[in-house]
Amino acid sequence: MLPNDQWPWGPMRSKWSWAVMAVVLVVALAVGAQGRPGPPTDAERAHRIADRVRCPTCRGLSAADSDAPAAKAIREEVLRRVEAGETDGAILGYLVSRYDASILLNPEGDGVAGLVWALPAAAVVVAVGGLALAFRRWRARPDAAVSPADRALVEEALSSASGPRRRGER
Amino acid sequence: MNAAFGAAGVAVGLAASVLGVVTLAIGLRRSDARLLRAGQRYVWLVLGGAVLATIAMQSALLGHDFSIRYVAENNSRGTPLLYTITGMWSALEGSILLWSLVLAGYLAVMARHFGDRVGDPLVGWATITGLVVAAFFFGLMAGPANPFRLVSGVTPFDGQGPNPLLQNHPLVAFHPPMLYLGYVGFTIPFAFAVAALVTGRLGEGWLVETRRWTLFAWGFLTAGIILGAWWSYEVLGWGGYWAWDPVENASFLPWLTATAYIHSVMVQERRGMLRVWNLSLLVATFALTILGTFLTRSGVLDSVHAFSESAIGPLLLAFFAVIVAVSIALIAWRGDRLRSPGSIDSPVSREGSFLANNVAFGAFAFVVLLGTVFPLIAEAVNGDRLSVGAPYFNRMTMPVGFTLLFLMAVAPALPWRKASGELLHRRLLWPAWAATLTVAACVLAGLRGFAPLLAFGLGAFAGAAALRQLALSARASRRQGSGAWRGLVGRANGGMVVHLGVVVIAVAFAASQAYGTDRQFRLEPGQTAHLSGHSLTYLGTSTTRLPNKTTTSARVRVDGRRVYRPALHQFPFATQAIGSPSVRVGALRDVYLTLVTAPEPGQTAAVIGVNIQPLVAWLWVGGGIMALGTALAAWPGRRRRPTEPASAPAVAVSPPEPDAPERPVAVGPHA
Repeated sequence: MLPNDQWPWGPMRSKWSWAVMAVVLVVALAVGAQGRPGPPTDAERAHRIADRVRCPTCRGLSAADSDAPAAKAIREEVLRRVEAGETDGAILGYLVSRYDASILLNPEGDGVAGLVWALPAAAVVVAVGGLALAFRRWRARPDAAVSPADRALVEEALSSASGPRRRGER
Repeated sequence: MNAAFGAAGVAVGLAASVLGVVTLAIGLRRSDARLLRAGQRYVWLVLGGAVLATIAMQSALLGHDFSIRYVAENNSRGTPLLYTITGMWSALEGSILLWSLVLAGYLAVMARHFGDRVGDPLVGWATITGLVVAAFFFGLMAGPANPFRLVSGVTPFDGQGPNPLLQNHPLVAFHPPMLYLGYVGFTIPFAFAVAALVTGRLGEGWLVETRRWTLFAWGFLTAGIILGAWWSYEVLGWGGYWAWDPVENASFLPWLTATAYIHSVMVQERRGMLRVWNLSLLVATFALTILGTFLTRSGVLDSVHAFSESAIGPLLLAFFAVIVAVSIALIAWRGDRLRSPGSIDSPVSREGSFLANNVAFGAFAFVVLLGTVFPLIAEAVNGDRLSVGAPYFNRMTMPVGFTLLFLMAVAPALPWRKASGELLHRRLLWPAWAATLTVAACVLAGLRGFAPLLAFGLGAFAGAAALRQLALSARASRRQGSGAWRGLVGRANGGMVVHLGVVVIAVAFAASQAYGTDRQFRLEPGQTAHLSGHSLTYLGTSTTRLPNKTTTSARVRVDGRRVYRPALHQFPFATQAIGSPSVRVGALRDVYLTLVTAPEPGQTAAVIGVNIQPLVAWLWVGGGIMALGTALAAWPGRRRRPTEPASAPAVAVSPPEPDAPERPVAVGPHA
């Protein structure tokens, strides 16, 4: 690692450094986000759907992860419908009608279920907004004036600290 | 005999807690040092009661004393020794006993640590708070969660044995005690927070006193959670380690608020600000350990880990409500003393980044809590039955996780008060290059997907930032002649080591989530399947009978080399067979094998599940690094003088403390 204060280039080149870095990063992420070539296979699509559905007879596992008979049945049904060309939405809709809305691990719909998505977003907005307000208030407030007496107090504390009492002082 | 000793232990614990509370309260009222000393001594009696009850329980388990209902339900003559001992925390009543034992232990260590300050009201009130909590848990054991209740009718000849999942892997001996050391450990800082509120000594003294206690509890909780993930990976057989299950979330919630606390407390120590916020985080952490116990023990939520349900749910919920109500009332009552005159100059500063950290952790905890209890809320509101599962949590927490990784990279480079552009440039340039080159290299190597690439890049950024801090610190301490290793010790440096562990875990999590594949193969003996460049040859199955289970294991040769044996276990008293996976652990990827279906009678074909996930082993390594970092952070460092400008707690802005002890707020190795 280079020591902090001895970069071999000047401030001008360092600006270039950040610019080059940004370009490399954006290009790499853009290429990387393209994904694998070709559409997903039927098995991949079926797996992705089963991942979003609860295994009806187990506790806390998705239909894709569980080996319970009910989960296997859902997987087979989903694969059959994927191969028949149904859309993801239609398959999930079928599962909801076959079981109930609690089969979906991602709660959907407006009304109460929508709150689970909206509340955290609202909370973050409120928190960030509150923080921004606090910073504005803090900035508006002038620093407390330092009196000569305060300075003397600090001086005294510092000089006594570096004096004979420095070790083992409680 | 065992039952009598056990009941006696519980009774002693309960009586000593209550008497201790009363004695201390009278002592504090009269400022009577003798009564205070006597009250403090009750802590040792509480410990004695807990130890007696524990010995009675272990003796009952080891002696297969099936006249005790708990033993009959969680032990059998065929249970191996290890799982006989761990039977104590295999179900609710025994878990409460373990909780009480750990709590009594913590209280005793606290009483010893503050033994020379029994006259100090802060210590007195903290002890009262701790003893009230102890009284609650001993009360549970004396009443609805009595571990020593006798069986009704004839003593059975044999017991049912522990839950099959709890006698399948030795990690059961480590994960629950670690978790409890974490959960219960937060009682001590909570007790001091309450004491500070009651006595009105709301300066930074109590924070400094409890700093190391918090750190220890946090370290144990971290280790407990990681061991739990490892255990579910090794035992549950679905190839995952984290399912956003209610029980997992219940342990994760206090971890999130505690992590927020150990960061934001530094702002208070340094600048005297955020007092109400820090108190709230500490209260929330302790309250969430109780709420988590309620959620997981009352049976209101379904979980893969819910090993017991009982009627103590309402009591735990009531206790949770009392904690929250009392804490809010105390904070409101002391509101005037909690105001601080300080201000933060710039968002681009160390304290600004700690605030951002707190917003992120707060949002994280809110999402996890909301998602966990939302099915209950929805059902209560309009009778909707719905589920909130892994896809929800993954989607909602991913942006928060990225934010935290970014903050981990930037925050250590930021100075207190205000940062200049020049300084940021100097400190962040090479970590940022490390991040960029990592992303570029991953893309060139053929890795795809926005989320994992971003995670690797931010991980490299944060990791490089932490390494840079450690290297600077080691160099500085070598120059001072105290050896480079000294630069790794202390809160800031240990914290950087913890950050490295977090980065390792984040990268491993992202990789295994994004690039894992799984498939099931129906194979005849001798047949070979191929997945992701690995060959799997099924050789056949064999069945063995043990006293406590019947095991069918398949032999599968991986890549033409070693043979692995995924198995299915049938336990008596269990309807469903329990699988135990067999894992080829590797630095780059794990090959995770399960026996999904054993051959039908008269047939030879078996269904083998294969799950190939990259970097999973690094999750456990990252956990180890975090534990090491915590130990380094808690290690007694160089003594700092209380008057040293860089380390002095901001006593100047705290309100007058009429009954403060004579010596200045201790900032020594024991603080």
